[in-house]
Amino acid sequence: MPRHFFIAILTFYLMSTAAVVQASLKLPATVKVESAALTAEPMCDPKISLAWREAQEIDGVKIDASPGCSPDNPVWIAAAVKGTNNISMDTLMKTGLSPDAIIKTDDIDGDGDPDRIIIKLEIMELNGRSPDFPGIVPTFDIAPGVQPGAWVFAPKTSGMSTENFESVRANPLLRLPSPVIRVEQGDIVQIVLENTHYFPHSIHLHGVDHPFSHGEHGGQDGVPQTSEVELMPGGRRVYQFQARQPGTMFYHCHVQTHTHLAMGLAGMIVIEENKPNNWVQTLNIGGGHVRHRSVAVREQFDQEYDLHYHAMDKELSEIIQKYNDPRLIARDMNQRYDITDATEDYYTLNGLSFPYTLRESLIVVDPDQKIKLRMLNSGGELIAVHTHGHHATITHYDGVEHNPAAQIMRDVFDMAPAQRLDLKLETIDDGKHSYGPGDWLIHDHREKGITTNGMAEGGSMSSIVYKSYLGESGMPKVSHFGIDLSQYFTKEYFERRVPIWQNLDDFASLGSPGGDDGLSAANQATLLNALIGLLIGLLVYGVFAKREYIKQTFMAMVSRSKDAKGGTNNG
Amino acid sequence: MVKQTTALMVASIFAMSVPALAQQPAKPNEHVHDHGADTAPSKSANGQPKSDEHDHHDHSGHTMSQDKGTAVDHEGMHADDHSQHDMDHDHATDHSAHSAQSTEHGDGHHHHHMDNDHIMDHEGTMIMGQNLDKLPSSCKSISESVEITVKAGRKYARNFPGTAFAFDQQQWNVKPCSKVTFHFVNEDNIRHQFMMHGLPKYLYKYGMFHLEVTGPKTVSGTIIVPGSDDTFLVHCDISHHMEKGMKAQLVVGKGAESIPSIPGLTPYNRNDTYEAENLPKASDKAAQSAMVRQITAFTNNSNMQNYAMIGLGALLGLFVIPLFRKILLRKKSTE
Repeated sequence: MPRHFFIAILTFYLMSTAAVVQASLKLPATVKVESAALTAEPMCDPKISLAWREAQEIDGVKIDASPGCSPDNPVWIAAAVKGTNNISMDTLMKTGLSPDAIIKTDDIDGDGDPDRIIIKLEIMELNGRSPDFPGIVPTFDIAPGVQPGAWVFAPKTSGMSTENFESVRANPLLRLPSPVIRVEQGDIVQIVLENTHYFPHSIHLHGVDHPFSHGEHGGQDGVPQTSEVELMPGGRRVYQFQARQPGTMFYHCHVQTHTHLAMGLAGMIVIEENKPNNWVQTLNIGGGHVRHRSVAVREQFDQEYDLHYHAMDKELSEIIQKYNDPRLIARDMNQRYDITDATEDYYTLNGLSFPYTLRESLIVVDPDQKIKLRMLNSGGELIAVHTHGHHATITHYDGVEHNPAAQIMRDVFDMAPAQRLDLKLETIDDGKHSYGPGDWLIHDHREKGITTNGMAEGGSMSSIVYKSYLGESGMPKVSHFGIDLSQYFTKEYFERRVPIWQNLDDFASLGSPGGDDGLSAANQATLLNALIGLLIGLLVYGVFAKREYIKQTFMAMVSRSKDAKGGTNNG
Repeated sequence: MVKQTTALMVASIFAMSVPALAQQPAKPNEHVHDHGADTAPSKSANGQPKSDEHDHHDHSGHTMSQDKGTAVDHEGMHADDHSQHDMDHDHATDHSAHSAQSTEHGDGHHHHHMDNDHIMDHEGTMIMGQNLDKLPSSCKSISESVEITVKAGRKYARNFPGTAFAFDQQQWNVKPCSKVTFHFVNEDNIRHQFMMHGLPKYLYKYGMFHLEVTGPKTVSGTIIVPGSDDTFLVHCDISHHMEKGMKAQLVVGKGAESIPSIPGLTPYNRNDTYEAENLPKASDKAAQSAMVRQITAFTNNSNMQNYAMIGLGALLGLFVIPLFRKILLRKKSTE
């Protein structure tokens, strides 16, 4: 009988040890994510015509070539240069702009260009909640599948806010960032804000020479605590100025600035030097390459780029995706959101994050060029932009020229919030200005600046690409180094579902491990319990089957002990 | 008791209706006043006051719209209203006068896009997908001609808490095969749209009929509705105007399935969750201060009493304890 017990225990022990040994002999195999399982996007947006890249002339407006993937729509440039009141009906219809979006009239100083400029801006929501379906509308991706709720100043458009009735994607004019505005020094400029949004807003012209108050239009500083009341939904306000000084400046909403600015109501405004025949490109929609430069910039530089750096907080941008009722959105934004406990999650350059920055914000250069970079930081923290392979010269701080004798060259450009820097980037291969041709990164060197919600590679990074390194597609040529950028063009990458190093070798040594093949700890425990149960069952059965024998033995034991007792008593 | 409650109810109903009554007569006056204020900045927004050329440029749109706007707002002037709208039709179709003006203006271009599908003026006032004469295949003839004035603006959101923009009505009913002229009156200073979807595509490009105008201004357009019962979505497609209230439906005949999330008419498909907030109230403050006063008064009194009681207790204790001890000691000693 005790022999049986001994055998049972031994079997049980052996089985459990065997399970443990088997599990540790072989680690789980690597599971590779197939490329077919990913939602692959083309690197270049196929909706954008290749013809847009070419140098061209529309309605008499000369437009420079722009060899990147997603150049600005040339008709937008023509409309921005001549005004929507001076272009052909055909061109206007192709822009999607309202016929009164940009009105340019009156050559007051007789120098061959219009001096009275009216720019109409509306305020549009992107990626906001719908009460009708469990999605957001109109959608705007800053990176594949990354759709933070945002608000933008948008040029006054005509028609739908989506691409068409079937689509939820935003009309291409409704996008981050708020457009770059360009006017000439001395122009009588009216920025007309038509508040199409459901919240009150304003415009503050940071750095632009503007009167505090205007006899006809009232307060002009955009600040609800000093110059004017908030502009309510459905209302219109005119901001009029005649800037005496040129420079790279900033405009933004000054209502609940701590949230409205981060939501995207911030843009660059450039006052160009007054020159004869200076038809400036009034709007650079989406920022980036300036394809119709002002006279002064043409005289001094071979190229010009507007680089608007911005940052957004996920928790803030999610508020407009959480509620539809404006009162609830107002409550959460104004009374519950605490910016002192907040962190920025999305870092954008011209409204987009890597890899979309490669589509729109590449700085495409030739050797021995002089390039003007206008940079704005509208994020909430200081940034430090590093130009790989180049030292550039800071020519202007906050729109004011730095003493030419004291101008310095750097390769890291720190910009406080709201700060603007004008850089002179020279592609002279002398080991100082440039180290020679290449696909040189330009990125915020705070390392979080190259992440999108903490996922690298993302953020505001882009490249300074020499044409010898630019592929026909408009993307940097990197495949000859064995580099494949395609995984960045999938939403799964930014959902953190792709083991990013799995394709670095043929056996995916740093891929994703599968689950345990042998017994997991939990399974082992279950099995042990089952075994114990089995043993108990056997024991009970054994006891039952041999009950007579047990009874007899027991009786015998009792009588024996009685005898023994009797014996001792007797003894 | 019953009498009292009914009296209370009557009183409360009266109290509630008084502000409503008070608002209604105030509206037209208020609006006329608004108009005066609005037109000045809107004019200057186009930069005209300083140059004659600009005044010319604006004649076609603005002056007309101002007349019309006020006409529309004055109740009881409907006949006049219609004549104004006829003018608007002329404006949309007759371009000779305006092109003369725009050549004077000297820009060499003007933005009146003309085909039956798409009419647009220099301010972006738009009529798209208009149908004046093409009968739907399901109709033998036009059953009736109706005119519907649709007002749009922020002020109509007042009736629907939790919205930002709205139309003055959320549903219009017409007979099958009727010819409907919509006079779309935008009372805000921004763009609004009257956009209808789902119309037969062989008559309406993309199945759409679309009026768009920057206010305060009116635009009119006509369609012929199909011969079968149906319900069509009407909305403003400017980002989040529909989501925030500017949504309605046109019911033809008995209609079809209603469209969701029309303010006051159909429920939202996805609802927000609401929780009562702990908001400060004036009554709280009064109650609080009253309570504070009472409490302080009470504690003052009771403290006095308590202290007195404690004092008495202590004295009693001081006297009584030695007495007890003495008694006990005596007992022991006697033992």
